[in-house]
Amino acid sequence: MAIDSSVTSVLPDTAKSTAPPASGVVIETRNLSKVYRDFWGRRKVAALKSLDIEVRQGEIFGLLGPNGSGKSTTIKLILGLLFPTSGRVLVFDQDATETRKNERIGYLPEESYLYKFLTTDETLDFYGRLFDLSTEDRKRRIDELVEMVGLQGARHRQLKEYSKGMTRRVGLAQALINNPDLILLDEPTTGLDPIGSRDMKDLILSLRDQGKTVLLCSHQLSDVQDVCDRVAILHQGELKELGRVSELLKVQDVTEVHARGLSEAAKQEIAEVIRRHGGQVESIDNPTTTMEELFLNIVRESERRPGARRVASEGGNATGAAAANAEAGR
Amino acid sequence: MTLQPDDFWSFSEWLLRPESFLESALLQGVVLLAFATLVGLLVAYLVSAVRYGPSEGFYAVARGVRDLFRDDLPGTSPRRIFALARLAYKEAIRRKVLVVVALFLVGLLFAGWYLDPRSSDPARLYISFVLTSTNYLILLLALFISAFSLPADIKNRTIYTIVTKPVRATEIVLGRMLGFVGVGTLMLVPMGLASYFFVVRGLRHTHEVVDIKELGDGRFSGKLSYDQFHEHTFTLEATGDTDGSVLEGVTDYVRGHRHIVRKVGDRYVIGEPTGALRARVPSYGELSFTDRSGNLDVKGIDIGAEKGRGDYGSAGIARLVGVSREARRMEFGYVEGGTLGSAIYGFKDVTPQRYPDADGIPMEMALRAFRTIKGNIVSGLSGSITMRNPDNPKIESTPINFVVQEYDVSEERLPRQIEGTDGDQIRTLDLFQDLVTPDGRLDVIIRCIDRQQYLGATSSSVYLRPAESSFAWNLFKSYFSIWLQMVMVIAFGVMFSTFLSGPVAMVATFVCVLLGFTAERIYDIRYYLDKGEAMGGGPIESLVRLVRQDSMTTDLDVDAIAAKLIKGVDSVLVYTLDVIATSLPNLPKMLSTAEYAASGFDIFGSLLARHAVATAGYVIAAFLIGYFFLKTREIAA
Repeated sequence: MAIDSSVTSVLPDTAKSTAPPASGVVIETRNLSKVYRDFWGRRKVAALKSLDIEVRQGEIFGLLGPNGSGKSTTIKLILGLLFPTSGRVLVFDQDATETRKNERIGYLPEESYLYKFLTTDETLDFYGRLFDLSTEDRKRRIDELVEMVGLQGARHRQLKEYSKGMTRRVGLAQALINNPDLILLDEPTTGLDPIGSRDMKDLILSLRDQGKTVLLCSHQLSDVQDVCDRVAILHQGELKELGRVSELLKVQDVTEVHARGLSEAAKQEIAEVIRRHGGQVESIDNPTTTMEELFLNIVRESERRPGARRVASEGGNATGAAAANAEAGR
Repeated sequence: MTLQPDDFWSFSEWLLRPESFLESALLQGVVLLAFATLVGLLVAYLVSAVRYGPSEGFYAVARGVRDLFRDDLPGTSPRRIFALARLAYKEAIRRKVLVVVALFLVGLLFAGWYLDPRSSDPARLYISFVLTSTNYLILLLALFISAFSLPADIKNRTIYTIVTKPVRATEIVLGRMLGFVGVGTLMLVPMGLASYFFVVRGLRHTHEVVDIKELGDGRFSGKLSYDQFHEHTFTLEATGDTDGSVLEGVTDYVRGHRHIVRKVGDRYVIGEPTGALRARVPSYGELSFTDRSGNLDVKGIDIGAEKGRGDYGSAGIARLVGVSREARRMEFGYVEGGTLGSAIYGFKDVTPQRYPDADGIPMEMALRAFRTIKGNIVSGLSGSITMRNPDNPKIESTPINFVVQEYDVSEERLPRQIEGTDGDQIRTLDLFQDLVTPDGRLDVIIRCIDRQQYLGATSSSVYLRPAESSFAWNLFKSYFSIWLQMVMVIAFGVMFSTFLSGPVAMVATFVCVLLGFTAERIYDIRYYLDKGEAMGGGPIESLVRLVRQDSMTTDLDVDAIAAKLIKGVDSVLVYTLDVIATSLPNLPKMLSTAEYAASGFDIFGSLLARHAVATAGYVIAAFLIGYFFLKTREIAA
């Protein structure tokens, strides 16, 4: 069921015919603008204003922004699905409208726009045939991808019978069919349950570990925070912030200490030390885990020990939850 | 079946028209292509000039052309085309278009009720029914599957996952076309097979012997029962077997067929109907006339209104630029009876190898009759056939008399041995040694015997029949013609669907087909306009006449300035329509191959070749136009 991210590493390097550009810059937008016009050429909305970003090789780059901020427009411009009103997009040092660049690109659209009348096998076979893959390579790759996204049991069912999450997995598999160097993910975790979402994030990280470049756009802030090396924040078509996630999120004048097994007296003493050094204690508290961690731990435990889980009444001591929390805190 | 003059053209004659190159199909194709390219470049420049400015626009167009020849055409991969074609094919199949085949079969089951069994030529009725119904059904289907698929992909955004792969616009357009042609073919095959069996089985019937009497000399004559709304008479003769118990004979021709009747002992065996489903292979001759005093004449006598219906169909550019104006029409020339007037058919390739039959050369005639006096109305007009050596007119056979069967094809045989004159002496002439020249030419002279009566002949009225092709093969050729039309419609549908939404693309394709069917009417309007003949005028003038309830042939009764304005606008409209109609495929011409099969004529290979080449030309044009629109389109817009 899980997306087994280790599988990708054994995949053949078929699409690596051309070496990555020497500069290490995979995507470069120069003064990129897009104005949507109506049928009569009248200006409707400026979706993107003078965007200048560089995505470097081997990083996970996040495009962040509220709805209508120009994230999708940027991705579509990079893919050549839209033509820029002014400015340029270079992908692998080629123009974005160049078809040949697609040999090294994998794209997972916002929703999986796939042919509903095809089965999983047929879908992957079809997309595989669009690349220069030999028949054996294609077959092997399809088997690997199906296993990776965990759809072994549903290979011969038409996609119209699939749930949203399953279609999403097929979409992911088709995006990786050519073992791409650059992967563009448009809202990668929408429609996935927390496990699928975590698997997706693990996969994105493992793709980076294989030296691939990932560009994703999302409005799920936690996704971006979890996986991205660098982010660009867009608002109303303009670039508002660009930088490393770790640096952007660091609060310079706050210090965090994590410790285990301290008594109340020890805590008092530490607070005293802080005060003595002129600092200000904002809170001393037990950390809470995230809902995501809690959910994942419950599911992991349930997979280890199937059967109904005893849920204690509210306020009582829920052993399972406590155990999960303890595990999360460790 | 009477043929139009351009039906006789061989493939190379049609393509090149050596004497009048302006009419050649090749020239028309080249001009159309050049014209389309020019218009395409101009429109492309205007659009990109508005979008990017005048100089940037020029570079954008130049880049587009460069990309086609430098990247997209060489980069087009058969593997991807095939993958996309398979997708289109699967889509259509999974959307259950094959139900149409089932509907067609159900339709055939009930069709028997509505086809009039009393028809004088049931074979023609059955064949033209199956061919026309399949033709329109397939074209309609081609229209639907081709126009909606690509717009649906763009609307559902499934196209995103395709164009972000290394797929070129050429491959998308070609893949669609190929896939839909595959679907169409898959549907046409069962429909064709079903049609074949429907025709063969629908015409099959038998009779019983109801009346028989001995004629005295060992022969019998009898009558068959009244079945399927007709009856036959027949005679039986001994077959010459040992004990004389087996008699055999044939019935008369009724409704285009006859039966073989055998008497074995006391039992009668009546065979299947034969002769209804034919595919005659005709060999036509060059027609010339002599006038009443025997002098050579080109046209024969015009008895008035003898120009048959015809079309401009293959007039090519010559008609568009006004060099040749009138429709090309077949004409009947008449021969006066009891005079030296005659119609002379000069046949070629008359060799014993081609006509091996010992009974003589089969010849068929479909002549017209024109009477100036009542005469003997029971027996019909009589004429004569004379064979003559074209190199030595003194060698001539004695005339063979025949009675003209109007509205019907009469079969004759030119005998191998015949009495005739060789200069001054009368002797038995051998057809191939004396009458036919060493290079295989033979003149056949048709005369009318009855005084003051006339026989009408045109090039297709008299022909030799060197062979008979199989009906099944001929039906296959008709279906091939339908297939070509389907390919044409699919190409247009896919082309329009690259830049229009589904319903609009369908209507656009439909309008193109429709314009093809009304092209001849448009040519006529232009012809009258050029000639200054009042025949209702163009669209605006016709509208005015309709509202004012004016007759078509009167002068337009409005004041001078208004008339000038109306006629001015009309001529612009009509000339524009003319250009458009000339650029579109001539589907009715392709549709008319069904007439060959229905009339029992082998469809000429040259005719099919012409259609095939024209189809290929239009498919290439549609492919290029579709490519440019898809390439320059913002898929995600």
